[in-house]
Parts: sequence; structure tokens; C-alpha cells
Amino acid sequence: MRVRVPLAGLLALACVSAARAEDLTVHIADDGGHPVADSVITLIPQNPANGPAAQPKPETRVIDQKDETFIPYVQIVRPGDPIVFRNSDDTRHHVYSFAKIKAFEFVLAPGESSVPMQIAAPGIAVVGCNIHDNMINYLFVSDAPYLAQTRAEGSVTFANLSAGTYALHIWHPQLHPGTPEIVQSVTMAGSGPAQTINATLALLPDPRQRMDHEHMRY
Amino acid sequence: MGFRLRLAFFFVITLALVQALTASLVYEVTRRELIAQGERQLTESAATFVHQLDDVSGRVADSVQVLSLDFALRAAIAQHDRSTIISALRNHGRRVGAERMLLIDLDRKVEADTSDPTADGKAFPFSDLIDKALQRPSAGVEAVNGSAYWVIVVPVLAPVPIGFIAAAIPIDTPLLARMQRSSGGPKAIELVSTVDQNHWAVIARGTDAVPVATKLLEANGLRDRPAMVEVDGRDFLALAVRLDESDKAASIAAVLCYSLNDALRPYRPVVLAWAVLLTLGLVVGLGGALLIARGVSRPIEMLAATARRIGAGDYRASAPLSRQDEIGELSVAFATMAQAIGEREERILFQADHDIATGLANRFAAEAAISLALGRETTGALLALGLTRLPEIVKTMGHDLSDRVMRHAAEIVQKVAGVGSVARIGDTTLSVWLSGVERTHAITMAFTMLDALREPYREADLAIDIAPAVGIALHPQHGSSASLLVQHAEVALFAASGSEDPVAVYDPATDPHRPERLSLMGDLLHAIERDHLRLHYQPKVNLKTRKIDAVEGLVRWTHATRGMVPPDAFIGLAEETGNIRKLTRWALATGAAQGREWASRGWTMKVAVNVSARDLADADLPRRVDELLAVHGLPPHKLMLEITESAVMGEPDAAIRVLKTLADRGIDLAIDDFGVGQSSFAYLRRLPVRELKIDQTFIRKLGNDAEDRTIVASIVELGHRLGYRVTAEGVEDSGAFDYLAEVGCDHAQGYYIAKALAPQDFDRFVGGARWPVARTEEAA
Repeated sequence: MRVRVPLAGLLALACVSAARAEDLTVHIADDGGHPVADSVITLIPQNPANGPAAQPKPETRVIDQKDETFIPYVQIVRPGDPIVFRNSDDTRHHVYSFAKIKAFEFVLAPGESSVPMQIAAPGIAVVGCNIHDNMINYLFVSDAPYLAQTRAEGSVTFANLSAGTYALHIWHPQLHPGTPEIVQSVTMAGSGPAQTINATLALLPDPRQRMDHEHMRY
Repeated sequence: MGFRLRLAFFFVITLALVQALTASLVYEVTRRELIAQGERQLTESAATFVHQLDDVSGRVADSVQVLSLDFALRAAIAQHDRSTIISALRNHGRRVGAERMLLIDLDRKVEADTSDPTADGKAFPFSDLIDKALQRPSAGVEAVNGSAYWVIVVPVLAPVPIGFIAAAIPIDTPLLARMQRSSGGPKAIELVSTVDQNHWAVIARGTDAVPVATKLLEANGLRDRPAMVEVDGRDFLALAVRLDESDKAASIAAVLCYSLNDALRPYRPVVLAWAVLLTLGLVVGLGGALLIARGVSRPIEMLAATARRIGAGDYRASAPLSRQDEIGELSVAFATMAQAIGEREERILFQADHDIATGLANRFAAEAAISLALGRETTGALLALGLTRLPEIVKTMGHDLSDRVMRHAAEIVQKVAGVGSVARIGDTTLSVWLSGVERTHAITMAFTMLDALREPYREADLAIDIAPAVGIALHPQHGSSASLLVQHAEVALFAASGSEDPVAVYDPATDPHRPERLSLMGDLLHAIERDHLRLHYQPKVNLKTRKIDAVEGLVRWTHATRGMVPPDAFIGLAEETGNIRKLTRWALATGAAQGREWASRGWTMKVAVNVSARDLADADLPRRVDELLAVHGLPPHKLMLEITESAVMGEPDAAIRVLKTLADRGIDLAIDDFGVGQSSFAYLRRLPVRELKIDQTFIRKLGNDAEDRTIVASIVELGHRLGYRVTAEGVEDSGAFDYLAEVGCDHAQGYYIAKALAPQDFDRFVGGARWPVARTEEAA
């Protein structure tokens, strides 16, 4: 199998745009050029003083289950945030995770929500449903100062960044297992023009569609 | 080998050959078709087998996949609960029939192995399967330690891959049996794996597997074409299909095989039926061939028998076979031929036995009939009736008339003879056999016939005198066989023809045709050469001077064994055989020598020598006479040649030329036996003759026969008038002698004076003084 980690390409594509000085836009595309959603971009300043002014307040993260799909696919969670799994389907779901940061298991009747759960340590917990193999959800637990998730247009913009050097981490659930973490150093001028970083990721197919239709008649 | 057998053999061999050819053709075509069918079947089976294998492997993989989703297992894996993992893997492995289960982490290292606790941390050898497993459960046939395994790899999803489970399911004989049971896979299958380059080991067999794989692979290698393999004398078509990835060194192959013998088995009843049919066909064909051959050869054998009968002379041809075919035609032809041959033979036999011109029996038939009669009768007479004038009639009137005359004579003779059978035994001769007849009766019968034939044959205005004569030979006196009787009757007839008496009975004493004559001729020649002949001299008395002034030399032959041979017995024969010329030469020489001697004594003696017709045909005669005269110094007029009239009759012109030449030399010529022949004076005038010798028949009775006296007187007178001297022969008494002297005959010769004398006797005789010799001085 071809495993492509175009790190060199990613660096090469980095450039400084003529936008507002404090902003950084990261654009993620797959190797077909399509914008990639659900990519989590983490920006860690070298200088802890360059963090955001205010820590975000704990927020309840609701992972809905609808049409045998976890919504959202990737959920950014701050350590300590209450996490609730809600079953909006009319089937049962057996939500589990064997993640090192938090192993849990909920059997949710239709319409039922789990009791709120908190994850203290940063990390990634892959959540599945033991009944429905194609239901996958990622809980991206991080206490990084800047943390954002791409939407359908594949872009994230960090505004008002202070001048300084930042470590830019890019993660996506469909990166090939064993792929080294994508980290890039980004230097912000503070008052300079806005920067745009374009990254191209080689992604596995969406595991949620991994239904062997050849062997299925339903 | 007879026709029947050959035909039968031909039929049978042809049938057998055709059948054998057909059989081999059918066998070859069937075999090829079966091979082609086997190749198709093998290729299909191989494809099916591979497909089945894929199918089974897919299902097994799915099962493994399902196992991998077991929550507890995944939990154990996620929590690295090793003992749980091992036991769960074992448990699940049993469910899918795996011999060995492995857990592999995302780094492709073995995390747990159900059969090998030491394998942890080692790299999983089939990483390509893991690559595929990221997409879907993957499976491959792999050789591990000389065994074949399906290695099935599935990811462990929780819900993303956290590792892989590998199941190794042995592909072995039980598996093949299971596949066979469940999905009707090939039974005649072997699985092999490479031991090393070009060596293969069988690792699994189907229930009906035949050990063809190693043989096939070692001979052909791995090829995707079916090939023929022979095992224990049986033919198999085998095809090897590689089951694993082709880029691996060790390989696993399935060898499928197709038994030609089994494929041919359904044809065995056909072969059996064919053999039975062939045997039946041969028996029926043989029988039929024999029958047909008999149908052909029987009539041919009958025809052969008919032909043999015809060859033996039996022409009563058997009835033609009533068949419409060629043999029928042949038999009709045979019948026709036999009939025709029979008729021809009858005709030939008739012709062989009969004279065509007259329809009378011929000599052969006559002799045959006489032979038959001789067997029955003790006595008999054969009469040979000669129509002496017939050659003359042929020359003047032709053969037709002559034949009619012959027929006429035959009819009359038949009438007279009554029971005697008449045949034609020669051109001019009829024969009549009279059985049981004695001499007297035969002579009487002969005269009766002659009387009946006295009447001339008449036809239109023609009257022909037949002038017959009869010779008689008597049985048993004159011959015991038919041919001898015929011969002797003809001899008698010949005698009769030349004499006044028209009937003569055979006389052996006078028969000039006896067989000893031939040897006589040889002896004669011998005698001439050895000078065993003697010339005797019969004196001629000059009737005026009463002296002897001439002699006739006569040949005398004293044969060494037979004694005295009469001149009649050899002179005529010598004439016939041509030896007369030598005899004449000898006589001339001897006579000339004697004449010379007498002349030297002073005797006037003319020596006469007889000359025959043959001598006169010799143009050389005058020259030889000249030589003789010269040799002996004898004047020509001292020599006289005596010739008979008949000697000149043959070839008158040539004879006359010779005579004239002789006469011109001064040699005297005399006509002998004058008066009994056909010659006339007119004819005589043409010959240069000086002397006539009156035949002794006129002289013998001259003493008392007035008629003869007149004749002799007339001849003498006439001769003298014509200038001939006249000599009388056969003077036997004084009456004749005196009469001759009286009528003026010149010379007399005969027993009255003397018989022919040898020279010394002649000397004594003339010394006797009764008849003195004329002497030269006297003549002068």
C-alpha cells in the first residue's frame, strides 16, 4: 500500500500572504486537491506568553448518534469538558473506546444520552459502536492554546497571533497509522501580513464507509 | 490354393482390414476428442478449483473478520491482555479451522502466536497480506515449512485498526475432502509445493488423486497447458495451476488430472460390441465367401469335367447350365464347341477313312477293315483292280471325269463283289476284300469283274474303255497283315497290267519289289567298285558267213552270299535307282577291253553293250565312250550299243541328240526287243540306228508258227529295204536258224548257238570249230 506523507511539499507550499499581520490561515487539501474537513490544527507558541488571553470555559460536548453515525466525526475536547453521547436513532448503540486516555463503554437505548464524562488527559480517543462497525468518532483531547478543526472548506484561521514562533501540528483521523506527527514551525511577524499555510495530506479512505458491500445484501 | 479358399481369404482379409482401419480411426478420433475434452475439462476444473478456493478463502476470511470484531477480544487486544488474547485466538481459530492464529501489531510485528510463544516481536513474514488487509480481509496461499496454508489477515478495528489477526488454515487432504463434499471440487487433485528447484513434494491429495503431480512437474515444470503423463501404464492428462503469488520462490500448485482410461471406459462396451460384430461379420463373410465361391467354382469344375470329356472324345456335351451369368454363357459356349468339334471330327474321321472324290473307303480304312477280317477269317483274297487308263483320262478329260469313271467302276465292282467291301487304295486302284475265299474263287471273281467292266463307260457322247487289270493277293499265303496284302496285290496288279493276262496272282518269286532289293543295290555298287561283276558274251552268228563276228555283252553277278543273281533282279533296280550309269560304264569298259584283246588276236569281233534310258539322258555319255575307245585302242565300229525302244521314248529329243553324237563317231547302234513296243518305223527313221534286233517272242516258235514266220520275214525284208541290218534273238532250234538264214536275216543269237559265255569259255567255244570266228585277214 502506498503511504504518502508529503511533508516536504507541505513545507514548500508555506508562504507569507499579504493579509492582516496577526492572522494565520491553514488550508488542508487531500492529494486530489479537495479541501479536507475534520483536520485538527494545533498551534503551540514557543513562548507560553503568546497564548490566548483567556482560557475557554468548560463546555459540554455532545456527541450525537444519528443515522448510525457519530456527529461530529471529530470532536475537539478540552480536558475536563463534560462529554455526553446522545442516541438520536431508534436503535441501540454500544458506544465504547479502548483509548489509553479513557476507556469507557455506554449502551444507549434509543433516545438515551450517556451520563456526562470527563477526560482529564490530552490525547485522542477513538470511539466506536460495538453494534455498528462503521460508526467511528474521534475525541481530540488537547489543552493547546490554539486549537481548531477544519470545516468543509478545509481552512482554519487563527486571528491576532502575537509575533513569535509557533509549532503547527496537523492531525487527521484518516492519516495512515504509524505516520509521524505532522509538525511545522511557523514564525509570526506580529504586524506583518497574514500568513496562509497550505498542506496536502495523503489520507486513507473514510473508515466510516468501510462496509464490505461485496459481501452484503443489505 | 483353390479358387474358393482364395476368394474366401480375400473377403475375410478385406473385411478385417477395413474393420481394423475403421477401428483405429475411430479410436484415434475418439482419443483425440477425449484428450481435447479432457483439456477443456481440466482447464475448467482448474479455474473452478481456483475459484472455489477463492470463494472458500473469502468465506473463511469473513469468518475471521467476524471473530476479529469480538468485543471482548478487541478489549483484550486494546488492553494487551496477552493470555486472554492467546486463549481467545485459539478459541476463534478452532471455529474457523485455523491451525495457528497470530496477532500482529500496527508495526507488523508478531504480538502473539498461538503455536509459537517465542515468535513475539518478530516481523510478520507476509506483510503484503497486511497491506491488503487495510482495505479488506486478505488471504493468500503460503508455503510454511513444507506445508501449504491459507494465511488470512484481517485488521482488528476498535473501531480503527489497532492490529491484525492472522489465521493460518492448512490446505491439506482433509480440506480438499471438505471442499469436495461441500462444493463438488475435483477429486483427482494433488497439491504440491516446491522442495527446491525442480523438485516437488505432494502436500495434499484429493480422494481420487493419482500420483501424477511430481512426474508432470519434473518433466514439464509449471506450465498452464495440459500435458500427457503415463502412470503405471495408464494415460493421464494433467494440468498444474499455481495457487500462490507468482513472485515467490517457494510455490504451491494444484495438479489436476484426467484419466484417459476412465474417459475411454464408456467406450468399452462399444469396443466389445464392435469386436463381436467383427467376429460375426468375419464368420458370415467367410461363410458367404465360401458359398459364393462354391457357386462360382462348382460350375467351373463341371465345365472342367466337360472339357476333360471333350478332350477324351466324348462330344455328347452335357446340357448347358441354366444360369444367366458369364458362367452360363461359358457353358453354352462349351456345349456349342463340343457339338462343333464333334461334327468336325466326324467329318475328319470320314475324310480320314474315305476318298473324297469317290466317297469310297480309302486305303487306311480298307486296311483297317481287312485287319479286322483277318482276325476272323482263316482265308481271304484281296483283289486290286487297276484302271490303267485312268492317268491318260485325267490328262485328256480332267479329274472330274476320271473320278466319275472311278465311281462307276466302283459301283460295278461292288455289285459284282456283293458282300466284299470296295475301297480306293490308290489313284487308279480299287480294292475288294473277299473273306473266306480261295485262290480259284478269287480268280473267278476277278474275271467276273473284268467282264462286268468290259462295257465302256458312257457319258453323253463319250465312251471310255476302262481297260482294267486285277492283281490278287491271298491270305494267308501272301501276307498275314493287311498292308502286306495290299502291297502284294498291287505288285500282282502291276504284273497283270504289263502282261497280256489281265489277272495275276502275286508271285513272290517274281516280285521285283522285295525289300532285299535295297541292300542289293548297295552290294551292286560294292561289286562294281571291287570288280566282282563279270561280263559274259553271247555270240552272234553271221548267217551269210556262218561265222561269229559279233557278241552281246551281258552282265553276270555272283553275289558273295546269294550266289548267282539273275540280271532281271538287279538291272531294273539299277535303272530305278540311277546306278545303271555306273553299271553301263563298267560294262562299256570291260567290253571295250575284251574287244581290244580279241582284235589283237586278229579276230573281227563287234562287241555290243546294252544301254538304258538313263544312260541316254546323260549328255556326257559320248565323251566317255570316246575316252574308253581311246584308252583301249578300239576302233568305234567295233562297238555296238543296244538300246530298247522305251529307252528313247522318255525324253526323245535329248536321247536322239546323244545317239546322233555317238553315231557320228562311227559307233553302231541297235534297237533291242524290236516288235513288242509301241514304236513305228516312222519313228524309227528319226533314230540313227543301223540294226534291228527282233524280239525273241517272235523267234521262239519260228520253227512251226506260220504267223511268226510271216512277221519275221516281213521285218527282215522291210528292215533291209530301209537300210537296217537285222538280228534275231532267242534262236533256240535249227528250224528257226534255218528259216532266218532263208529269209536273209543278217545275224542269229540264241541258245541254239550258245548261251552267254565267260571269256575263257568263249575261247573254248570258238575253238570248238562249229562256229568259227571271223578273222581280219578273211574279212580283208
